[in-house]
Amino acid sequence: MDAHTATPGVAAALRPPRWLLPALAVAIGYYVAARLGMAFTLHPHPISTLWPPNALLLAALLLTAGRDWWWLLLAALPGHIAAELQSGVPTVMVLGWYASNCSEALIGASLLRVFVRGVPRLDSLRDTGILLLTAALAAPVFSTFIDAALVRLIGWGTSTYWDLVSTRLFSNALAALMVVPLILAWAAWLAAGPAKMRGARYAEAAALFSGLLAVCLLAFAMPHSDAHTAPAVFYAPLPFLLWAAVRFGPLGVVSALPAMAVATIWGTVHGLGPFTTETPQDTAREMQLFLITASVPLLLLAVALAERSRIERESRSQLTHLSRVAMLGELSGGIAHELNQPLTAILANAQAAQHFLANKPGERAILSEILQDIILADKRAGDVIDRLRAMFKRGETRTEALDPNRLVRDVMSLAHGDMTTRGIEVVPRLAASLPEIRGDRIQLQQVILNLIVNAADAMSMCAPNDRVLTVHTLATKGRVHINVIDRGPGFTVASEILFEAFYTTKPQGLGLGLSISKSIVSAHGGRLRAVTRKGGGAAFLITLPALARRP
Amino acid sequence: MPYVAIVDDEEPVRKALKRLLRASGLEAESYASGKHFLEASALRRPDCLVLDLHMPGMSGLQLMHEMRAAGAMVPTVVITAYDEPATRDQCLAAGAAAYLRKPLDERLLLNAISATMKRTPKENHQ
Repeated sequence: MDAHTATPGVAAALRPPRWLLPALAVAIGYYVAARLGMAFTLHPHPISTLWPPNALLLAALLLTAGRDWWWLLLAALPGHIAAELQSGVPTVMVLGWYASNCSEALIGASLLRVFVRGVPRLDSLRDTGILLLTAALAAPVFSTFIDAALVRLIGWGTSTYWDLVSTRLFSNALAALMVVPLILAWAAWLAAGPAKMRGARYAEAAALFSGLLAVCLLAFAMPHSDAHTAPAVFYAPLPFLLWAAVRFGPLGVVSALPAMAVATIWGTVHGLGPFTTETPQDTAREMQLFLITASVPLLLLAVALAERSRIERESRSQLTHLSRVAMLGELSGGIAHELNQPLTAILANAQAAQHFLANKPGERAILSEILQDIILADKRAGDVIDRLRAMFKRGETRTEALDPNRLVRDVMSLAHGDMTTRGIEVVPRLAASLPEIRGDRIQLQQVILNLIVNAADAMSMCAPNDRVLTVHTLATKGRVHINVIDRGPGFTVASEILFEAFYTTKPQGLGLGLSISKSIVSAHGGRLRAVTRKGGGAAFLITLPALARRP
Repeated sequence: MPYVAIVDDEEPVRKALKRLLRASGLEAESYASGKHFLEASALRRPDCLVLDLHMPGMSGLQLMHEMRAAGAMVPTVVITAYDEPATRDQCLAAGAAAYLRKPLDERLLLNAISATMKRTPKENHQ
C-alpha cells in the first residue's frame, strides 16, 4: 500500500511541468517566425510584409490554459532577443517590441476567450467569425497603436506615427489570418488522432499544392515589366483554393492560403510580380490587401461547408440514437421478463436458504451451492442492464475489431425476453470460425436487433409452431454475412421500398428502422438487402467486409 | 407428501423453485418443457403443477389446453415474468387455478399451491 502511494508522488516530482513542452515549442517557433518575418521585408527602407511571431504566440495561447500563458510569453523572450539582436536594433527597442508583440497575442487570446469557450473550432462559423474579428482584426489594431507609440517614444527610425501604424497593422493582420487558423487546424487534426488517408488522397493533396504553388509563382513571382496587369492573373490561384476548400475543408484552406502568401511575398520581396510599385509602402499594402481579401471568403467558405457536414453528421447520429431508444422502448416488456427471471431465481434461492438455515443449519455445502446460484443469477441480471445501458447511451462512433458471432449472441440475449414472450423460437446457425469485422459495436447490434424485431413482428400472425427465426452467420471470400430469416408472409413491395425512410407496415412504426440500418451498414462499407424466400418468409442479408485473419 | 411438478424453460429458475419447494416440505420435480412434463406425468401424475407461461415450443397455455383435451388436467399455478392485462384471464379460462407474477413471493406461491390442491379433485379432473 505504501509503495503504491509513494510511487505517484515520486513520478509527479520527476514529471516535467505541463507548460514546459509548449514553452519550448514557443521559444523555437517564435525565433523561426521572427527570422521568417525579417526575410519577408521589403528594402531599401525596411517594410515588413508579414510578421508571424505575434500570431504564433497568439495561437499558442489559444491552445493553452490561461494559467500557463505567462510561461509561454516568457518563453518567447529568448527567441525574440536572439532574432532581434542580430539586426542591430537597440536593446530598449528590442524590449519595447517584445512588449507590443506580447500585447497582440494577449489582447487577441483574451478577447477570444470572452466569446468562445475552449479552443475555437474551424468547423463552426461562429467560432471562426469571432476568431477573425478578435485575432485577425482587434488584436493587430490595438497592439499596432501600442507598437507605433513605443517606437516613437524610444525614437527609433524616422517614420511618422501613422506611417508606422499603417505598415505594421497590415503585416500583423495578414500574419494572424495566415498563422492562427493554420496552427489551430493542425492542432485539432493531431488531437483528433490523424485519420488514415488513402494513397489517392495524398496524391490529390500533392497535386493541389504543387499546382497552387506553380500558379502563384507564375502569377506573382515572374519578372513583370508591364505596368498593366490583366485582372485574370489575380484569380489564377482561385481554382486551387476552391479545390482545397471543397475537397480538404478548413485544414486544406488554412494550409493552402499560407502557401499562396509565401509564394506571393517571396516574389514581391524579390522585385517580381504585379505588386511592385514606386514605393515599398504601397507595394506592401497592395499585396497584403490582395492576400487578405482573397483569404477571408475562402476560409469562411471552407468553414461553412465543414459546419454543414458536422451538423448533418450530428443529426444523423441523433436520429440513429433516437431510433435505437424507440426500439428498446418496444422491447421493454421483454426486457422486464429478462430481468424478472434472474430475480425469481435469486428470491427463490434466498428463501430456500432461509429454510435450510432454520431447519438444517449444519449443511454448509447446500448453502454454498445456493449462494453460487444467487451470484450467477445476479450477474446475469447485471449483464442485461449493462447491455441495455450501452444501447441507450449516445456516443461518438467507435470502431473496433468485432467477432460477428458475438455481436449476434449479444443481440439474441438482449432480445431473448421479447422473443420468449412472443413465443418465437430463435435458431442460431453461427459459423464455427468467422473472420473479424471492423465497426461500431452498438450500431451493428442496433441493425441486427432491428432485423430480429422486424422478423418477429412479421411472424405475429403465424401458427405457434411456425414462429421460427433463424440467424445465420457465414463467411465468403473477404466478406462476412449475417442473415436474419423469418417464416412470415414475406413482403409484397419492391425490396428497395422497404429501406426508404418513413415506409412502414406497422401501425405504431415510424418507418425509420430499416432506412437507418441500411445507412449504418453502408457506413461500414457493407450492404443490407432483403429477399423473399421461395418457401415463404423474408430474409434480410447483411454483408460486411471481413478483416484479414490474424496469423 | 404432496408432489408438485415445475415446468419452466429457464434452468436457474427451475432449480431455485425446486429447491424452495423441497425446503418447504413438498416433493418437487422440474421439467424444461411441456413435452417433457407430459411424458413424465403419464407415469406419475403430480398433485399440483407450477407452470411458466412463456416458453419456446409449447407455451404454458398450450400445455393446459392439451391436458384439458386429454382429460388429464392437473391443478395448475401459472407463473410468468411478463404480465399482460389479458394474460391472466386467458390462463384462468384455460383452467389455471392461480396466476402469479415473477419474482414469486414464497408465501403467495405456497398458499396458491395448497389452495389449488384443496380444491376437489373432481373439479379439476372433470
